[in-house]
Amino acid sequence: MSVGFGNWLDERIGWRKVWDAIFLRKIPKVNWLYTLGSATLFVALLQGITGILLTIYYVPTPDHAYDSVVFITTQVPGGWFIRGVHSWGASAMVLLSVLHMVRVIMYGAYKYPREVTWFTGVGLLLATMGFGFTGYLLPWDQKAYWATIVGTRIAGVAPFIGEPILRIMRGGEDLSAVTLARFFGTHVWVLPTILLLFLGFHMYLVIRLGISAVPGKEE
Amino acid sequence: MNEKERQEYLEQYKKDKEKGVPFFPDILFKDAVISLVIFIALVALAYFVGAPLEPRADPADTSYTPRPEWYFLFLFQLLKYFPGSLEVIGVFIIPSAAIILLIALPLIDRSAKRHFLRRPFILGATILSVIGVLFLTIQSNREIPPPLEVVGGDQTALLYTENCAPCHGPSMTVPESVNLHEVIAQSEHEGMPAWSGDLTSDEIDALAGFIISPAGSQLFTDNCSECHEVAELVASNPIALRESIQLGLEYEPHAELDIPNWSTSISQEQQTTLLNFLVAPDGQRLFATNCAPCHGQSVAFAGGEEQLLETISQGGMHLDMPPWREMLDDSELDLLARYVTDPNSVPEGAETFQANCSSCHGERIPSSEDLETARQIIAEGGGHEMMPVWGEVLTSEQLDALVTYTVAAAEGTSVEVGQELYSQNCALCHGEFGEGGPNPSRAGDIIFPISTEEYLKTRDDFTIRSIIAQGQPNYGMSPFGSVFGGPLDDEDIDALVTYIRSWEANPPVELPPEIVVEVDEDTVALDTEQIYVQLCAQCHGLEGEGGIGPSFEDSQFQDTRTDTQLLNAINLGHEATSMISWGDVLSVDQINEMVALIRRFGSPSVSGLPTPEGVSFASDVMPIFEAECAACHGNFGGWDASTYTSVLGTGNNAPVIIPGDPENSLLAQKMLGTHSIGAIMPPAGLLPEDEIQVILDWIEEGALDN
Repeated sequence: MSVGFGNWLDERIGWRKVWDAIFLRKIPKVNWLYTLGSATLFVALLQGITGILLTIYYVPTPDHAYDSVVFITTQVPGGWFIRGVHSWGASAMVLLSVLHMVRVIMYGAYKYPREVTWFTGVGLLLATMGFGFTGYLLPWDQKAYWATIVGTRIAGVAPFIGEPILRIMRGGEDLSAVTLARFFGTHVWVLPTILLLFLGFHMYLVIRLGISAVPGKEE
Repeated sequence: MNEKERQEYLEQYKKDKEKGVPFFPDILFKDAVISLVIFIALVALAYFVGAPLEPRADPADTSYTPRPEWYFLFLFQLLKYFPGSLEVIGVFIIPSAAIILLIALPLIDRSAKRHFLRRPFILGATILSVIGVLFLTIQSNREIPPPLEVVGGDQTALLYTENCAPCHGPSMTVPESVNLHEVIAQSEHEGMPAWSGDLTSDEIDALAGFIISPAGSQLFTDNCSECHEVAELVASNPIALRESIQLGLEYEPHAELDIPNWSTSISQEQQTTLLNFLVAPDGQRLFATNCAPCHGQSVAFAGGEEQLLETISQGGMHLDMPPWREMLDDSELDLLARYVTDPNSVPEGAETFQANCSSCHGERIPSSEDLETARQIIAEGGGHEMMPVWGEVLTSEQLDALVTYTVAAAEGTSVEVGQELYSQNCALCHGEFGEGGPNPSRAGDIIFPISTEEYLKTRDDFTIRSIIAQGQPNYGMSPFGSVFGGPLDDEDIDALVTYIRSWEANPPVELPPEIVVEVDEDTVALDTEQIYVQLCAQCHGLEGEGGIGPSFEDSQFQDTRTDTQLLNAINLGHEATSMISWGDVLSVDQINEMVALIRRFGSPSVSGLPTPEGVSFASDVMPIFEAECAACHGNFGGWDASTYTSVLGTGNNAPVIIPGDPENSLLAQKMLGTHSIGAIMPPAGLLPEDEIQVILDWIEEGALDN
C-alpha cells in the first residue's frame, strides 16, 4: 500500500530522485564536529518557530512593546517558555555558527571547490549578528534602549557614510518609535528573507559538492 | 591550486566518498543527537534561567550603564582602546577589515594544503583571533559592573568607579589639550550624560584630576584626607597648594600642626603627581581662581596661543612698565593717578589713559585705593604689579589648559558670538528676545515670536539654518547666507543657530501670554504706579530696568520714541507678543499717565516709584501675594493667599503671620528661606528684595487690613 502510494506520488512529483540526492548521498567518514552546521540549522528553525509565536502577542510600538513582552512572560500560557527559548536560542545560534566557522577554517573546507559555500556562510553569520542586534531592542527595556543607543552610535562613527547610516538605522536623529518599527521590520521580514536565500544557496552547495572530508596529515 | 591538484583533489574526494556512509541514517542520526542535546540545553536554560527583562526603557535615566549582548561585548571593549579621534579605527577600520578578510579567506589561502598543521599561518591567525575575541569579552566582563574595589577610602576613586568606570573602564587615557572639565560637565557624545546635573563643579574637577593623575588621588588619600576634603582643595589657589607641599613645615597654616614635613616625606615626582590631581587642568577654573582676581571675568586677548603661553609662564617678569615721569608732565601724572583711583571723577583722564596705558592694560583700568600710591606706581613704573610667574606654579598640562581656555574665551563662545550676530542682524525685525513684532517690510504684517518653546521644538537646526541662509522672501525676509548674497558665512549662521537654540531651555517668550488681568472696577481704579507694578513690571522690571520687554532706563529707548508712539504701543500692543493691547484694559488717561511714568524711568535723577508712606495691604502686599503665591496657595489647599482673612487665618501651621513680629512669622521665614523645614517659598527662589521688604514692613506695622 505504502509502496504503491510512493510509486503513485513518484510518478507525479519525482520525490525518489530528490530523496536519493539528499538522503542517500554518500558522505566521507567524518567526526562529530561536522554536526555543528546541522545544529545551527536546527537552532535557526527553532528561532523561526518561537519567533513566529512571539509575534502573535508582541506589539512593536514604544508604548506597548514593553507591556506586551510582560504580557507574554506573565499571562500567555507557556509564553515565558517560548520567549526563554528564543532568547537563549539567539546566543546558541551565534555560538554554534562561530564554532562551525572555526571548524571549516581548521579543516580547510573553504578551499576548492567550496569557495562560494564559504561566501554564503559568511553572509549567514552576518545575518545572524544582524538578528541579534535588531532583536535586542524589541523588548524596549532599559538594556535594549541603551545598548541600541550605543550600538547605533558606533555605526555613526564611520567616516562619510556613518551619519547617513545612523539616520537610516534610527529613522531620524534620535531613538524613537520609528527606530523600533524599523528594527522590528528588519528582524521579522528583511533578515529572515536574507537568511532563507543564503541558507537555501548554502544547503544546495553543500549537497551538490558534498561535505569535505577530514584532511589527512599529508594533505 | 593548479589544474593537476584540482583533479587530484576531486579524485581523492571521490574515493573518500565511496569509503563513506550514506547521509541517511548514519549522519542524520548524529545530527539528530546533537540537535536534541542542544534542544534540551535551551529548554533547561529557558526553564531555569528564563529570558531577562529589565525595567521599561527610560530615555531620561542617565545613570544606566549600557551593555550590549555578550556576543558584541568584544567590539564594545575594543572601542575603549581607541579614545577620541582614534575611535574610527576601533569602530570602523578594524571591524571592516576583519569582515573583508573573513570573506576573502578562500581567495587568500589558495594552496592545496588542507591539514591545519600544514597551514601554520592560517592556524596562527585563527587562534590569535579567537584568543583576542575571548580576551576582549572577558576583559569587558571584568571591567563592567562588578564594581571595582575602592582602595582605602579614596573618595574620588569611588566617584570615578560609580560614575565613569561602567563605560570607561578602570582607567582612561585622555589626549592632550582636552578640556576634561567641559567634557565631563557637558558630555561629549551621546550615551554619556552631562554630569553637571549630578555632580558639583568641585567633584567634576576632582574627577578630572583623578583621570589625569589617579596616583595623585591615592597620595591625597594617604597623606591629606585626614584633614582635608578633596572638594576643598581642588577649589583652592594653586600657589597656596604648591607652597603647602614644597615649603613643608614652613608653610604657615601647617607650621603648628603635628604632621610630616611634606617637602621631604613626599618625593619630588610624587609632589607633581599630587598637584596634577589637585589642580585639575581645567582652564576655566584656573582662569577663575588665578587670573580673574586681577584681570576680571572678561577675557580680552588678541595675540596668538604661543604668545599667551609665554606671557602667562613668565608672569610678572614680562611686565615692563616704563617710569612714566620721564615721559609725562606732572599734571598728566596727576590726572592718571586720579583717573585710576576713581575713573568717574575725571572722565577726561580716559583719553590720557587710552593714549598711554591701554596698549598694555587694555580696557581694564587698574584700580588703586589711594591717590599717592597710584601716582608713585605710575611715576616709577617697573615691577609694580605682582603677576606671579605661573610657569613655576602650574604644571605644563595646566598651563596648556589655561592658554587654550583663554584663547577660546577671548573669541567668545558660539552662544556669545551668536548673540552678537543676532542683535546686529536679526533683532531689528525679530526683537531682541525673538519676540517678534510689526513686520517693517510688509505693512500690517506681524512677525510671530521665534523664541517660544513651541517654535523651537518644532524646527530642527537644519530648518533654522536654511531659513537664515535662504531667507523667507514671501514674508519679506531677505537671505542672510553668503551663498545667497547675504552677509553671513556658514560659521556665523551656525553660531546664530546655537544662540537661537539656547532659548529653548529657557524660552524668553511664552505663548499665550500668561497675564491675569481682572477687568473689574477695583483694578482699573488703581493708580498708575500700582498698574505699573502689577502689569508692566512683569516684563519691564520694577525699576523699568527691562526683562522680557525693553528697558525704560535705556536712553536710546527714550530718545527714539515720541510720547505718541509710546501711547500707541501701550494702547495697541505688539501682536503675538506678551505685549497685549492695553487699550482694552486701561483708559486713555491711565495710558497717558503711564507714558509719563515711563519717561520718569528715563531720567535717572527722579526715582521711578515713590516710596509709599506706610505699607498698605490692599495696594502693596496683596499684589505681591497675587503675583507670587496665589497660583498655588488658594488652589491647592494649605495656606490661602487670596484674601486678608485667609492670609492671616489659614494654613496647616496657622497662623503664619504674627503681627508686629516678622522674625517669628512663618510666612517671613519661608519667604527668606530661614525656616529649617521645607524649601524656600516661592520655590523659584528669593523674591525681589523690595517685595520682601514690603511684606516684612507690613508685618512689622501690625499686619493691618489697610
